[in-house]
Amino acid sequence: MGDSQYSFSLTTFSPSGKLVQIEHALTAVGSGQTSLGIKAANGVVIATEKKLPSILVDETSVQKIQALTPNIGVVYSGMGPDFRVLVRKSRKQAQQYYRLYKEHIPVTQLVRETAAVMQEFTQSGGVRPFGVSLLIAGYDDNGPQLYQVDPSGSYFSWKASAMGKNVSNAKTFLEKRYTEDMELDDAIHTAILTLKEGYEGQISSNNIEIGILRADREFKVLSPAEIKDFLEEVE
Amino acid sequence: MTGSMDLPAKGGFSFDLCRRNNMLQKNGLKLPGFRKTGTTIVGLVFQDGVVLGADTRATEGPIVADKNCEKIHFMAPNIYCCGAGTAADTEAVTDMVSSQLQLHRYATGRESRVVTALTLLKSHLFRYQGHVSAALVLGGVDCTGPHLHTVYPHGSTDTLPFATMGSGSLAAMSVFESKYKEGLTREEGIQLVSDAICAGIFNDLGSGSNVDVCVITKGKTEYLRNHQLPNPRTYASSKGYSFTKGQTEVLSTKITPLKQKVEVTEGGDAMEE
Repeated sequence: MGDSQYSFSLTTFSPSGKLVQIEHALTAVGSGQTSLGIKAANGVVIATEKKLPSILVDETSVQKIQALTPNIGVVYSGMGPDFRVLVRKSRKQAQQYYRLYKEHIPVTQLVRETAAVMQEFTQSGGVRPFGVSLLIAGYDDNGPQLYQVDPSGSYFSWKASAMGKNVSNAKTFLEKRYTEDMELDDAIHTAILTLKEGYEGQISSNNIEIGILRADREFKVLSPAEIKDFLEEVE
Repeated sequence: MTGSMDLPAKGGFSFDLCRRNNMLQKNGLKLPGFRKTGTTIVGLVFQDGVVLGADTRATEGPIVADKNCEKIHFMAPNIYCCGAGTAADTEAVTDMVSSQLQLHRYATGRESRVVTALTLLKSHLFRYQGHVSAALVLGGVDCTGPHLHTVYPHGSTDTLPFATMGSGSLAAMSVFESKYKEGLTREEGIQLVSDAICAGIFNDLGSGSNVDVCVITKGKTEYLRNHQLPNPRTYASSKGYSFTKGQTEVLSTKITPLKQKVEVTEGGDAMEE
């Protein structure tokens, strides 16, 4: 990894014991568009704002929520290109796991491997940390799960979480609204309301993206028509 | 031309060609090698898609290693592949390409095409110069229509309306050549494929047991595992066998008792922690 001229790491400790590059990476995440995830009793939902830089951009060409395996999906806050690289690597790791063990990769394993990749880039020569935080949603034999992975490579399991610009307001809102036995459809409504809280402008089916996992364990990105139905229910 | 050398009209094996072969070998001609793939696999294109078929016998030389193995492998939801040759090679290469196709589907967001699977397979096999002994019948339906291909171990491919591979391919091909026509219905296609596989099962030693069929149409794939079981196992006795004492003659008896001897040594050092 990295040129031979750069066999030393660019992420080095400061006297206070912090890795400044990772702090800066988290700042990059913090200035990214808000994304959130909620784990319900019978599924998981992840959602994000999709604010495009201009009305001339073809919104169908942008897909911020991606599937990693048929039963695991991911959303991010931060730098889009870094996200694409991680998605590519994670998909390949999932396939390699399947080829080796003939078992579909459990959510925790995929999260671990993705986090390991992100950590590598904080300790290798000539590379910088990823400027994204990921929310990985999956449904396997251990039930519905939601994990957050940070640029440092640390990961946490959440019942509900948010990242990006509006993180503190969103988290407060989620804390108030979250219940343990929430159904997936309630979770989707809560997710939409949380996004609406911090949204500058009018929320519509074209400027948010929602991905869900029901008990059938198939990750699905909702189409604008389906989002519209949920938006109407909320209002 | 007046032929004075006629084959004998009745019975018996004509040894004329054997004499010719011996003469040719003495003059330096190398005899062609025998195809060692013990399998009959077939595929055909019908009205709405493709039908693939395979027998279920896996052989290790003259021994039947598996009486009901699966030779029709999954490549993509709309693409399946029958494999003849070394079982490990066909399994490994189809698994590998299936994995690559899945990654490609994620990257493109589209259904996989049969030609993609074909190109991935042939590139891999060509790179290994025939050492990966996998002879495949690849079939599927994608946005450009139904496709059927054969892939040879060295990496060459054919595109055909009906195809057979394996040691039983000649028996199966004879059935196809006489009965195939364009625009078959689903029932006719399945029947023809079953007939072809049965021809291989009954006439080729390397093929046997049951018939597996896979029907692929636009938007729907049906994997009919053990569609036909023409070789049922008939057990001699449903109660099992009993072996009473005295049925086997004892020629000689030798008993060696196992002695247990435990030695305790006093004053040894304690094990280091």
